[in-house]
Amino acid sequence: MHVVVAGISHKTAPLELRERLALDDEAALRVSRELLDEGVACEVVALSTCNRTELYQWARDSLAARHAALAHLARHAGVAPSELEPALYSHSGDGAVAHLFRVTSSLDSMVVGEAQIVAQLKAAYQLASDGGCTAVVFNRLFRHALEVGKRVRTETAIGERPVSVSSAAVGLAQQVFGDLRDRSVLIIGAGETSELTATHLKANGIERILVANRTFAASTDLAARIGGEAVRFEDLEEHLVAADIVISSTSAPHYVVTRESVERAVKRRRHRPMFLIDIAVPRDLDPEIDRVRNAYLYDIDDLQQVVEHNRHEREREAQLAERIVEQELANVNDWLRGLEVVPTIATLREAVEEIRRGELARLGNRLSGLTDEQRAQVEMLTTSIVNKILHVPTVKMKEVAGRDQCYLYVDAVRTLFDLDGHAGDDGDTPAGDAGRATADHTDRAAAEDAPSGGTVHHLRGTGTEDA
Amino acid sequence: MELASVILVWLAYLLYAAAFAVFLIGFVTQRPWTNALGRWVAAAALAAQAVGLVLRGVEAGHFPFAGLYESMVLLSCAIALVWSVAESLTRLKAIGLYVMPVVLVLLTVALVEYNPPVGLGPVLRSDIVVVHVTVMLVAIGCLYVAGGAAIIYLIEEALLRRRRPGGVLGRLPSLAALERLVYRATLLGVPFLTMGMAAGVIRAETFRVPGWATDPMVLLSVAAWAVYLALIAGRVRREWTGRAVSWLAVTGLVLLLVIRFAAVPYLSAFHTYGA
Repeated sequence: MHVVVAGISHKTAPLELRERLALDDEAALRVSRELLDEGVACEVVALSTCNRTELYQWARDSLAARHAALAHLARHAGVAPSELEPALYSHSGDGAVAHLFRVTSSLDSMVVGEAQIVAQLKAAYQLASDGGCTAVVFNRLFRHALEVGKRVRTETAIGERPVSVSSAAVGLAQQVFGDLRDRSVLIIGAGETSELTATHLKANGIERILVANRTFAASTDLAARIGGEAVRFEDLEEHLVAADIVISSTSAPHYVVTRESVERAVKRRRHRPMFLIDIAVPRDLDPEIDRVRNAYLYDIDDLQQVVEHNRHEREREAQLAERIVEQELANVNDWLRGLEVVPTIATLREAVEEIRRGELARLGNRLSGLTDEQRAQVEMLTTSIVNKILHVPTVKMKEVAGRDQCYLYVDAVRTLFDLDGHAGDDGDTPAGDAGRATADHTDRAAAEDAPSGGTVHHLRGTGTEDA
Repeated sequence: MELASVILVWLAYLLYAAAFAVFLIGFVTQRPWTNALGRWVAAAALAAQAVGLVLRGVEAGHFPFAGLYESMVLLSCAIALVWSVAESLTRLKAIGLYVMPVVLVLLTVALVEYNPPVGLGPVLRSDIVVVHVTVMLVAIGCLYVAGGAAIIYLIEEALLRRRRPGGVLGRLPSLAALERLVYRATLLGVPFLTMGMAAGVIRAETFRVPGWATDPMVLLSVAAWAVYLALIAGRVRREWTGRAVSWLAVTGLVLLLVIRFAAVPYLSAFHTYGA
């Protein structure tokens, strides 16, 4: 059995195609159920965001899973599979798990370090889980993936610095003012970047937005769009006094705000600081303004420089994140390998044999009166009891080994006999222990959340098939 | 009991150093959990130090302010206390990184200049001296914090002006928060400074200390006091904000340091730290 992922993302497909492939909740569930019903996959999660559409499957045949994913996505989008084929990427096994972890860590995102993907993945998993499309493997794998996403965000500074001009401007404003809630912003000119920056500021708590444009109608338009207040361009100087942050992006060929007017404004503001952002080319704000006490002026080049710097920083953090992904991948691999039948039978036998020997050793004193021959008989008796008890489970396990759902039996055996607990006693590297702690936690959470779903349901399902 | 006290102060010293290391790691790596961890470690250090001081006071039989050792331990304790309170009240991050070195330097001086506890000389055996010392320590704790925040403000402002928003800038508290901290810490410290100075004057007058009014230490203290009053007056009328306020706080800090480390040991005729 393999974890298989097939899908498209901003790296392989243009927006136009991504739009057509986007799955809403209903479509995601429908496609997942179809894959399950066709028997291609045992567990499915569909992830669809504006930058990617991916199907994760736990399947026996990775190639068949890829074909099925391609066919279903193409049918859903109404495009020919041959048209979708070049944009579709797929990974299986390690590659698929690594891909999932890189996605949750936002390493595969358009803007590396963005924060939304974790919530999006969580929602996608929740939907699949509620819809009965996941069981043992994906319950554990996706919870683990979410933990990885969290770990990357807390242990690296990957999402710390803004990497777009508008968010860099917001970051600088926060550097000056701290909390932006009680601040006000004046927008001069109705350009696209100033609108974007205003939206960003609003998302960061700014309540009062003033819009001044040479044509009043344009100000009212923009003000209505971003929930601001249109003011007359002629009264600009008055409004400068009220503005903590000024964003300018007019197409005027000369300076719209001079050093003198800012000097007067700062004085009338009783020396409260002002932060001015000039996004226009040619510039709107006199560069001399930066010399005014308590006034800080950044133009588009300054902001670009900030963005460039932060990008470099994110790239460095991304390398750290890649290392975390690798570590976590190793942890998951140990667990996935454990789901195979043969090693599980071996572990089970070892565990029981250990109990037998332990019990005999415990009785050591009381058996000391026995002759060697009697001792050999006790030895034989206990061994044969153990073998008899283990015979049926071993045969049954080998029987189901050929079936898709065998891993559910394996998981049940491992849980009932606490086989993974035994494995934990061997002692590993500290990193391994830490990883196992996370994994255990995830597992416990999974068990608590879905007592009646997942495993039990599927086992019962297979049982009926047998009958 | 003396031994227990010294062990506790050493423990506090090591814990402060550990807290500093944690803050430094946090500053470099930007891991969010480091600030909380550093604060816990520093709080443990503060507790150890406070208990150490109490034991020292019990052993010496008086409030532990006499001599270089006791006064330095007391001062660093006051600074750490003011910082902990300020940090929990203002939600300011990243100040601990700058407070810890000050505390560590003061404690280093204290531990290098260690002297066993002794009874008070007749000059110091007076309630007004205890009031003077306690109140002054609170004032100095506040004003050191204000001065430290002002230094960070000035550095950060320079970085912002020079377009160096990468590197450390994103790791510093906002200018507005720092300015507020400078102003509020000064506002809190100045009444205590005033009271402490008044207590000093009363003490000097009642004991008829000759020539106290022209002592360099007294003159410098009055100068520092005037600087802080000017800071508050300018800020209240909003004529001075930001840089101006910060420069005044730094000036005040320099005067306080000169008084403590130059004027009193080398110039002052009568003021001692109980030696």
